[in-house]
Amino acid sequence: MTAGTAREVPGAAAADRRAWPAWPPRAGTRLLRLHAISRRVPAAIAAIAACAIGLRIALIGHWDSYGALQLPLVFEAGSAAAVTITTASPLGEPERVTGRRLPFLRLATTLTLTAAAAGALTAAGTGAHLAGGTLDVLRNVAGMTGIGLLCAAVLGGGLAWVGPTGYLVVGAYGLYTQWHGPALTTPWIWPARPPHDAGAAICATLVFTIGIVITSVRGARDPVGE
Amino acid sequence: MNVEITGLTRRFGRTMAVAGVDLRAGPGVIGLLGPNGAGKTSLLRMMATAIRPTSGTLRLLGRHPGAHGPRREIRRRLGYLPQNLGYYPGFTVAEFVEYFALLKEVPAAQIPAAVAAAIERVELGGKARTKLRALSGGMLRRVGVAQAIVNQPQLLLLDEPTAGLDPEQRVAFRALLRELGQRATVVVSTHLVEDVGAACTRVALMDRGKIVFHGTPEDLTARGEGHGTGDAPLERGYSAVLAGARS
Amino acid sequence: MTAVRVPAAPRPMPAMRWHLRAAARLLRLELRRNAMPWMLPVAVCLFWITAYRKAMAMPPLWSLRAASMQSGALLAFVCPVAGVAAWMGSREARRHITDLVTITARPRWARQLTTWAAATCWAMLGYLGCVAALYGVTARQAAWGGPPWWPVAVVAASLLALSALGFAAGALVPSRFTAPVAAIAAFFALALSTQLIQGSQSYWQVSPIVAAPWDIGPDTGRGVFYPYLPDLPIAQVMFLTGLTMAVLGATALPKGPGVGWLRRPAAAVTAAGLLAAGTAVALAGTGKLDAHGMIAIPAVHDAASDRPLRYTPVCSHAAIPVCLNPAYASYLPAAATALAPVLNEMAGLPGAPVRVSQTATTYRQGTGNSVSVGLAGPPISGTPPVFHLLLPDQLPGPPMTTGGLATALRSSAGPAIVASVIGDGPSASPAQQAVAAALSMSAGLPQPSLPGPVIRRRSTTVPLPASVRSAAGRFAALPSPARHAWLVRHLAALRAGQITLAQLP
Repeated sequence: MTAGTAREVPGAAAADRRAWPAWPPRAGTRLLRLHAISRRVPAAIAAIAACAIGLRIALIGHWDSYGALQLPLVFEAGSAAAVTITTASPLGEPERVTGRRLPFLRLATTLTLTAAAAGALTAAGTGAHLAGGTLDVLRNVAGMTGIGLLCAAVLGGGLAWVGPTGYLVVGAYGLYTQWHGPALTTPWIWPARPPHDAGAAICATLVFTIGIVITSVRGARDPVGE
Repeated sequence: MNVEITGLTRRFGRTMAVAGVDLRAGPGVIGLLGPNGAGKTSLLRMMATAIRPTSGTLRLLGRHPGAHGPRREIRRRLGYLPQNLGYYPGFTVAEFVEYFALLKEVPAAQIPAAVAAAIERVELGGKARTKLRALSGGMLRRVGVAQAIVNQPQLLLLDEPTAGLDPEQRVAFRALLRELGQRATVVVSTHLVEDVGAACTRVALMDRGKIVFHGTPEDLTARGEGHGTGDAPLERGYSAVLAGARS
Repeated sequence: MTAVRVPAAPRPMPAMRWHLRAAARLLRLELRRNAMPWMLPVAVCLFWITAYRKAMAMPPLWSLRAASMQSGALLAFVCPVAGVAAWMGSREARRHITDLVTITARPRWARQLTTWAAATCWAMLGYLGCVAALYGVTARQAAWGGPPWWPVAVVAASLLALSALGFAAGALVPSRFTAPVAAIAAFFALALSTQLIQGSQSYWQVSPIVAAPWDIGPDTGRGVFYPYLPDLPIAQVMFLTGLTMAVLGATALPKGPGVGWLRRPAAAVTAAGLLAAGTAVALAGTGKLDAHGMIAIPAVHDAASDRPLRYTPVCSHAAIPVCLNPAYASYLPAAATALAPVLNEMAGLPGAPVRVSQTATTYRQGTGNSVSVGLAGPPISGTPPVFHLLLPDQLPGPPMTTGGLATALRSSAGPAIVASVIGDGPSASPAQQAVAAALSMSAGLPQPSLPGPVIRRRSTTVPLPASVRSAAGRFAALPSPARHAWLVRHLAALRAGQITLAQLP
């Protein structure tokens, strides 16, 4: 190559970008669908729906102060557990070493399911005496899902349910201490805080954000075995 | 005779996986060849008493596995390695083999020696305390073989046992098969005809749920002379028999 | 691969020893490779939050802390135990090892039972460690009495049942969703059972989270003067054991390899378990609140439990000593100090109590969920007269600090002591009211008042009339010896209503 004929050679990155095939929209939908199936999202949606139906049926009864506040927490924990179980990947390494789409797929799946869980439970409480209301449901579902996501990052997707179920006990006990002291008032036990409490909302949001970032980027830990 | 099968069938929904198989086998190594979906694994699973036949008669080690007592006696003397081996990643090699020794009701006092012997036979003695999750695929396969032979079975059923083994290990494994075949009936389901040629005294070829050939490897080779396609004599015999069965 | 000779088999050992050794080896393997130990830190943290903290905030009374431990420990362990047991139950299917283990000689139920036993052993170990910590600290703090073991047994039986239920669910439905469903369902069942309890004759109080009459709540008065009744715990343990037997027996019922001969004994075990559980529920339904605040079940009740516990009271050194049950010894200084002013006023007066003696609380079940708690008889009785004291902590309610108890005691027992000596009440004369008010003033007690009209079903009080207050002020202004001397001479007449306001000094 001579100086006269030299001209700028496109960088490898630019060449890669031009070489990257266009992404047909149907392929995107198909990828989302396949990813969702691999993560057992249909079963998770069924579990969330079952929680919502269970909450609706339970709200038919009249509950005392404890029950009225603790009851939704049970179904919120169930929904959060169902969401976090979908972080488990059955495909292992071959999937991890694929391109850049995987983190977005994980993010989309978790966000969608969390929103679906909050929406389903809120809808189930509409027209019934749902103590705490929509804000409470949203905060609790997001927070407990965040705890489950952090557990998934540490223990694996299969055992991610440990977080929400353990926190269910903490949250229920925190509510109980509002009547029988000493009261647990830390915002980190957000179910025991009023729905409009800013500190509790911040804590729950923080946990959810950290959890979803970690599991989107790194995914759930591969199974640790028995 | 350790294996006596007459008119054995197995249906999965609408699919007839095994469509009438007759087989008799005594001590020795029998290779079970056939294309994918021929029914080899289903036949092996019936012989392992993992599933019941739809019809036909099956006698293993002189017993009918239909009744609880005889079936339990068969299982004490049975070794089985499935095609897809599941395992508990947290177990060590020794624990995994010991676990199966216990489940197979090997006398407790004999277990340590039996486990050590089985692990040594598959040349994993140095890995006895290694967790299974840390092993390569080939080593996991050898662990699978170890659990199959820990109880010194009289009937050993191996489905694709050499998958993942390197050539040297395959040679050693064939020697093991020949040695085991001196006392026990060993049924090896495989796609590798060279394994059959090196280790097996008898060959059964299955296609579409039926046995279309049963004889010695030499007989199979003879069938391929001037007729079949393949790079090796056994492969030519294999393709010739299949072609004949399908025509 | 090399040919290695296996050494010649040793002489065969007896079949039973062989089975036991093999079972022990299998259990040892399962114990070493079980998921339950990984969950114990979670359970221990939950125990600290729900049981330990709460118990340590309560007075160091064995029965109070044991009851708190029972419900708290159950809350802490229910989710981890049920969930992990379900996880272990689904292990074979999740690891794609079903075929491989199915074709072995050992029956499925024996294999599964070993896995379940290992998970349960770990859970029990974690739980007993937590109990040891809580009971150990209480042993150092408690002044009297010993640990009740029935609450420990109830939770232990609960762990057996929870792990059996979880394991069976996991074995039956080996899905990833089974473990969280089992954990949450177990928690929900426990919580729901408490919502359904009405009164003390409820079948639902067979729920292991019920440590005492549910509607009363934590109460220091229970299990101190009278024994901690084992009636309800017996029914609960019976229920939980029956449930465990039924579930474990049911796992051997499905048709499968190696269980043909076992199905009949398994069916018998299942039936026996269900019968035991049903009987226990029926027994719980016959329970009733006894006079000492515990649930008594006639069919299992031991009459010896109705006899009071013997104890040597701890007493203050004063003219009128305050004597408490030794379990409350830590309260004695505060109680004596709180009552000293009023007792000093009363000492030496005719009819004054020679002693203030703590007594047991009496419970009476009303209609529905209502329970009345208080003294069995009059506050002062006997010859010589003894004032029967109920510490405020003996009444249902949140536990008090020592300062809070002293204030409450001064407010409740002080006026009662004055009233019992002076003769205050609805029929008291104005002079009696004035003297009572004066003594209350001198002792720093809240001023007495008169009952007022009932407004919207609530009792009200009205202040004393001005003349009574004025007389009380004059009487209280007297020097203490003069006041005391006057009372010694005129108390009998005052109690008889023969003294007028004008006659008060």
